[in-house]
Amino acid sequence: MLETPYVTNYLTEHFGEEDYPTIEGYERVGGYRAARKALTEMSPDEVIELVKIAGLQGRGGAGFSTGMKWSFMPKDTDRPKYLVCNADESEPGSFKDRILLERGSHQMLEGILIAAWATGASTTFIYIRGEYAYPADQMERAIGEAYAKGYLGENVMGTGFRHDVRVTRGAGAYICGEETGLLESLEGKKGQPRKKPPFPAQYGAFGMPTTVNNVETFSHVPHIVEKGANWFRSFGTEKSPGTTVFGVSGHVVRPGLYELPLGTMLSEIVFEHAGGVPGGRKVKGVIPGGMSMSILPAGQLDVPMANEFLHERKTMLGTGGIIVMDETTCMVRVASVISYFFRDESCGQCTQCREGTGWINKIVDRIERGAGEEEDLEVLLDVAGKMEGQTICAFADAAAWPIQGLLRHFSDDFAEHVRQRKCPFAESFEL
Amino acid sequence: MVISKQTRSKIDAVIAKYPQARGALLPALHLVQDEYGHVSKECAVEIAEIFEIRPVEVMEVLTFYNLFFDSPQAKHHVYVCTNLPCSLRGARGLLRQLESQLGIKAPGETSDGRIFLGHEECLGACGYAPMMRVDGQYHEVLDIEKAKRILDSLGE
Amino acid sequence: MPKITIDGTEIEASEGRTILQALDDAGLLMNGVDIPHYCWHPKLAVDGSCRLCQVEVEGIPKLQIACDTPVQDGMVVHTANDRVKAAREGVMELLLINHPLDCPICDQAGECKLQDYAYDYGVKASRSKEPRRALKKNVDLGPTIVFDQERCILCRRCVRFCREIPKTGELAVFNRGDYSVIETFPGTPLDNDYSMNVADICPVGALTTKDFRFKIRVWFLEEVAGICTGCSNGCNIHLGVANNKVYRYVPRRNDAVNDTWICDAGRMSYREIGAPDRLRECMVRDESGRLAPTGLDRAIEVAAGRLRRLIASKGAGVIAGLASAHATNEDLFTFRRFLSALGSETSGVAVVRGKADDLLIKEEKAPNGAGAREIGFGDARTVVDRISSGGIDALITLGHDALHESLLGSEKPLADLDTVIVLDTHASELQRVAHVIVPVRHAAEKLGTFVNVARRVQRVVPAVESAWETYADGEVLAKLGAALGLEGFDGSYDARQVARDLAAANPAFVGIDLDSVGDTGRLLAGSAASGAER
Ligand SMILES: Cc1cc2nc3c(=O)[nH]c(=O)nc-3n(C[C@H](O)[C@H](O)[C@H](O)COP(=O)(O)O)c2cc1C
Ligand code: SF4
Ligand code: SF4
Ligand code: SF4
Ligand code: FES
Ligand code: FES
Repeated sequence: MLETPYVTNYLTEHFGEEDYPTIEGYERVGGYRAARKALTEMSPDEVIELVKIAGLQGRGGAGFSTGMKWSFMPKDTDRPKYLVCNADESEPGSFKDRILLERGSHQMLEGILIAAWATGASTTFIYIRGEYAYPADQMERAIGEAYAKGYLGENVMGTGFRHDVRVTRGAGAYICGEETGLLESLEGKKGQPRKKPPFPAQYGAFGMPTTVNNVETFSHVPHIVEKGANWFRSFGTEKSPGTTVFGVSGHVVRPGLYELPLGTMLSEIVFEHAGGVPGGRKVKGVIPGGMSMSILPAGQLDVPMANEFLHERKTMLGTGGIIVMDETTCMVRVASVISYFFRDESCGQCTQCREGTGWINKIVDRIERGAGEEEDLEVLLDVAGKMEGQTICAFADAAAWPIQGLLRHFSDDFAEHVRQRKCPFAESFEL
Repeated sequence: MVISKQTRSKIDAVIAKYPQARGALLPALHLVQDEYGHVSKECAVEIAEIFEIRPVEVMEVLTFYNLFFDSPQAKHHVYVCTNLPCSLRGARGLLRQLESQLGIKAPGETSDGRIFLGHEECLGACGYAPMMRVDGQYHEVLDIEKAKRILDSLGE
Repeated sequence: MPKITIDGTEIEASEGRTILQALDDAGLLMNGVDIPHYCWHPKLAVDGSCRLCQVEVEGIPKLQIACDTPVQDGMVVHTANDRVKAAREGVMELLLINHPLDCPICDQAGECKLQDYAYDYGVKASRSKEPRRALKKNVDLGPTIVFDQERCILCRRCVRFCREIPKTGELAVFNRGDYSVIETFPGTPLDNDYSMNVADICPVGALTTKDFRFKIRVWFLEEVAGICTGCSNGCNIHLGVANNKVYRYVPRRNDAVNDTWICDAGRMSYREIGAPDRLRECMVRDESGRLAPTGLDRAIEVAAGRLRRLIASKGAGVIAGLASAHATNEDLFTFRRFLSALGSETSGVAVVRGKADDLLIKEEKAPNGAGAREIGFGDARTVVDRISSGGIDALITLGHDALHESLLGSEKPLADLDTVIVLDTHASELQRVAHVIVPVRHAAEKLGTFVNVARRVQRVVPAVESAWETYADGEVLAKLGAALGLEGFDGSYDARQVARDLAAANPAFVGIDLDSVGDTGRLLAGSAASGAER
């Protein structure tokens, strides 16, 4: 069984309770009341409006307003509409969706049900990354329970509303987390992102109007419906309300999950909650939001974890996966691991992404081997620049940003490799 | 016919759950691989028939995803996550030690074809690093002793 | 109609077109406005992956791909400012880091879009010091095509072609990222009636035809606009000519006829031109019954002598004419006039039929059946029937299509004729029964027009001169007519003049002459313009 978060709040407070993943356990603590309320007392538009006012932002990485996204779904249409739950969680440093699936299965299902009511969707496809075998099994169990109780199916809670939920397992491809790559994969194809427009709300899963939301995004919804927008806004910042489940990994005393309000200081999470770096060593850098985001050097950790503040430091909240690196860490090795990942995971359609990720990885590895030249640093920045903002999906940006960040804050590490013709960080993690 | 009756009927059942049959292609590949350990050329042809697509389209899907194999595999699969959070917590050292324990280089398999050892990208267990995925099961917060015990407990 | 401004020039576009399509429609793409592109092809679905066609659209912060950006009224596009150039150079440099650049030994050199664009868009020497991706060379993809994986830039044109045009879908991209490669399913080769088009659309030298490989450097080839003679679709082609030899046919775009494609059989039919069985000299049958070579004058003299004798004894009614659907309208109109002046009452056009599909390939395996019918040649069956009922003593035949099993079946039914005069490009069994044989020109060697299945008049021009003495059918008939003293025949033949005469005599050809047909043809009068040709 997964360890429950060290710090819990409304999303995770019951995660330690053994029967919470079952429908009985969930209902015992008030589960499905929100869905009943939405379906019987609220119109779809009222639900959308409420979520808009609450200011819920997507927790899958892009941080888009969830209420807005729901409102893009066409209203007067005979075509079936779909919801997709993005449970592909593959962003290195992110491991929150897994526990939300395993323990908060019904919480998420209830969120899905409310979203389905709000958008008029007939079916939800939960796309779970292929490696999440246990979470997928658990979701199937939970869905079975919900059908048995009449919370899913032909006549949800006796309201006449129909909704079905299906689980689809991925098969090992990071790019299927990108929403249109996911849709392709869901349709039984290679997970190659689609050109946009058309956007999923017009042309989504199987060509039908579709809304894609992250696991955690759905999980917040029942709480908003039950306790209201003002209550939700009592957490977090003005622009980024609510809590999120931060994952802390790397060089900290207590790696794990922490459900905290958005806007919590990064330094507080790293040093207080996660206990700082073990062995009395110092922090060198922290990636604040999953590996696609730019690193922050030790001196810049005094930043609230919300996009409006992180943007000023040229980075983003992303998935809230916080990766901490101590002073022994070689940032060229970090660049090597990161660039290898993006090279491995590019879907390969766009020239800049397919060729750029490979080239960056080769240059970085050569620098790490001690065979780098001074001009390589310039080439790295230039190639990363050419990958940014010019491709079918944001993967290429996600591949460029961390490299740009490392060169912005740790170019000395790279230069030192070139100068010494070897890696100067003897104690760094192995490559 | 290579695909067994049971698997075939499972595939048909999944197909019924999608608005378009093709949606069941990944599930079908999973089912076939669960049965045979990989998706052979013959199976690919048969799957293509079921889905009324061309075999080459099955292959392009098969080769896109890491979890699908188009050739026979070792009996046990051991993957150590070597992405950044795990690497920061010694995953690569662990992998080296497992390599010497098994006397092979990752990615690669033991000469008896019993164990495949490889590395994988982030598996969503970064807070419980280092970790490995053995025959689909997660093993977390590892040290070398614990990892060796897990390997030793693998059946023939 | 939306108006858009591209680099300061206003153009009108049709609703719903993309920037590239609008430029293509206006004939400006790479011909006034340069937006280099790899994955986009005017006749394939948009892919949007190479990212080379990025342009700046005022009001949109990010660069946009011209191949997938619909025009909007008032749109202002910049295709050559610094930002666009930098993006383009970026794509080019990235494509080149893994490209072998083995141009000196690459068959595509000279028509390689990678080479061209690298030159045109000023890519500095690649800064890459990394080893290139090592992949398979010389992959045998099927009966017609060889593939070099290392040269492939993954534009996926070939994949889309096979899926969208012949709908055979043999090709796919396997793997992902920079491990991506084009593959076929093991044991399922690239093998369809249109397979060789992939070599034309491949922007680099990754896909080449086995037939043309290593034959000649393309810059030695002169491209002559012509028409394929393989069937009645009349696909537009370029004949690749050097040293007075045709090395290949490649498709020439004509959206009303063949888009940008030709079939493999038609493409390979260039080999007829220099085939060993081409007729190379005039022949007449001597007293001993053997065919003996001779000159044209003598051949005409013998033919005229035989015909004159027959007319004197039995009248012209015993003379039949078989036209060929391989002959031009000018040849056929001359033949028509010849037969009328002679007083022959029996004629028809022989056409071989075969397999057709719903793409390009048509049933009639010759380019001009429609022209022959328009000019007044009926079904060759009437000729065959009259021969078998014994009403015919002499036959003048253009070509040998009448030998086909659907008509004569063999030369035997002609064995008892008093006189058989053959005008043909290639040897056939007719040699066994002919009294006079005159070698005539292939479509690649003469000037004239054909009418395709959809009533489009299209022109052929001499691309090569045959190395031996040959004549246009019309020229031979004109001489024969003069030798017989027929009205209106002075022995001269000028295809341009004949075309004008045809236009004057036949209302369907009104206004059509060898200049006005142009390179893309004109419909016969009274034909509904439609896409029916495709
Ligand atoms: C390369 C890439 C990978 C992504 N991976 C994920 C993922 O694993 N899970 C996820 O929820 N969103 C992921 N996203 C974001 C999705 O595209 C999409 O924005 C999100 O699922 C929308 O849900 P939300 O609005 O609830 O956040 C990824 C985006 C990109 C560009
Ligand atoms: S940016 Fe990369 S991952 Fe995204 S579509 Fe292009 S090649 Fe694929
Ligand atoms: S082989 Fe040619 S046409 Fe096909 S993807 Fe490669 S470069 Fe493009
Ligand atoms: S379809 Fe007919 S005209 Fe066109 S290339 Fe083939 S044979 Fe020639
Ligand atoms: S980095 Fe190993 S599980 Fe995330
Ligand atoms: S031509 Fe537009 S992206 Fe390739």
